[in-house]
Amino acid sequence: MAMNPMEQFEVKPVIFHDPLFSIAGHPIYFTNQALFMIVAVTVATLFLTLTVSKNRLVPSRGQSMAELSYEFVASMINSTMGSDGLKFFPLIFTIFLFVLFNNFLGLIPWTFTATSQIAITFTLASFVIITMVIVGFMKQGLGFFKLFVPSAPWYLLILLVPIEVISFLTRPVSLSVRLFANMLAGHTLLAVFASFVVLMVGAGGIMYGVALAPFALIVCIYALEMLVAALQAYVFAILTCIYLNEAIHHANH
Amino acid sequence: MSEPAVTHTGTEAQHSAGFPPFKTESYPSQIFWLVVCFVALFLILWRVASPRIAGVIGARKGKIADDIAAAEKHKAEAEAALAAYESAVASARAKAHAEADANRKVLEAETEKAKAAADAEAHAAAAKADAEIAAKRAEAATHVTKAAQDAASEIVNRLIGVTVRPEEAEAAVKAL
Repeated sequence: MAMNPMEQFEVKPVIFHDPLFSIAGHPIYFTNQALFMIVAVTVATLFLTLTVSKNRLVPSRGQSMAELSYEFVASMINSTMGSDGLKFFPLIFTIFLFVLFNNFLGLIPWTFTATSQIAITFTLASFVIITMVIVGFMKQGLGFFKLFVPSAPWYLLILLVPIEVISFLTRPVSLSVRLFANMLAGHTLLAVFASFVVLMVGAGGIMYGVALAPFALIVCIYALEMLVAALQAYVFAILTCIYLNEAIHHANH
Repeated sequence: MSEPAVTHTGTEAQHSAGFPPFKTESYPSQIFWLVVCFVALFLILWRVASPRIAGVIGARKGKIADDIAAAEKHKAEAEAALAAYESAVASARAKAHAEADANRKVLEAETEKAKAAADAEAHAAAAKADAEIAAKRAEAATHVTKAAQDAASEIVNRLIGVTVRPEEAEAAVKAL
């Protein structure tokens, strides 16, 4: 019972057991998730500010990593949106680092993975899509609707326009579920194999040796989860770039 | 279940069975803290971290560009100095050649002059010596004739006891 693999996703109050306050009748708790989001933001902030010093011509290891992440996001924006997309740099950089640090932080045992919650990923994805729509109408006016009209003969448009509309509407869903499901599945898998190890060791006898198999698998899955953590942050950020690119440039498909 | 003693209003429902991410009662807290954390990170990155990193990267690129420019300047200077040195060496060499040529010509002319003077002197000396030799030879020839006359007169006197007159001896020697 204590080894319910879903238990790790339970959002529960920590430190303060009472709601801090309430917004529109909804009580706001200080939760384990809030705690680790704050830790993630703090670590990201320290990583990007303390390591960077102007006096060093040759950067330190930490500074190299900070500069690398900066230039990685800058080149990602440049390649997907062009140089006029760089005004969205702080936004994309924030999204990338927020997801990245929450993903990685969640891989440390006894932490909470904020990005394994659909409420978080869907809010983020909705924010991206709403930003895209606002920027699109500001930049292109009603021309933004051309997004739904591919260049095709009119009789095909009857079919294509609804498809485009549906694909647009599913964007926040696909964007949020991709991240949420990846995080959830990976962490669940780790917890399941970990519970196998505990059960086998508890059974004793020959099972001591057999327990090595799920344990080895945990190591492999953990390595895979490291890749997934980085990859999903990258995917989230680059999809944000692609969507915002459609908002600032005329879609030509 | 080893639940903590969190059984206040709302939390009890959170800890009940069900798929945790779909428990909507936790959503207000989740979204609230997401907004707080995201906005905080955004402001930090936008106002502090990005300008700082951009400044550092820009400063380094500037430094590298400056260094390359300075190195190129030094290289150009070095090349100019080398060219100047080479042209100086070339002109000095040309000047030295010209001077050496001029000196050689002067020396050659002087040598020629000296040689001509020496030649003339030698010719004069040779001519003088030739004349002296001719005079001495002529003189010697007269002495020889005289000696022959004397010898002839003496020989005749001893052989036949006749004293030959000098005129007769002279005529006889010339007839030989």
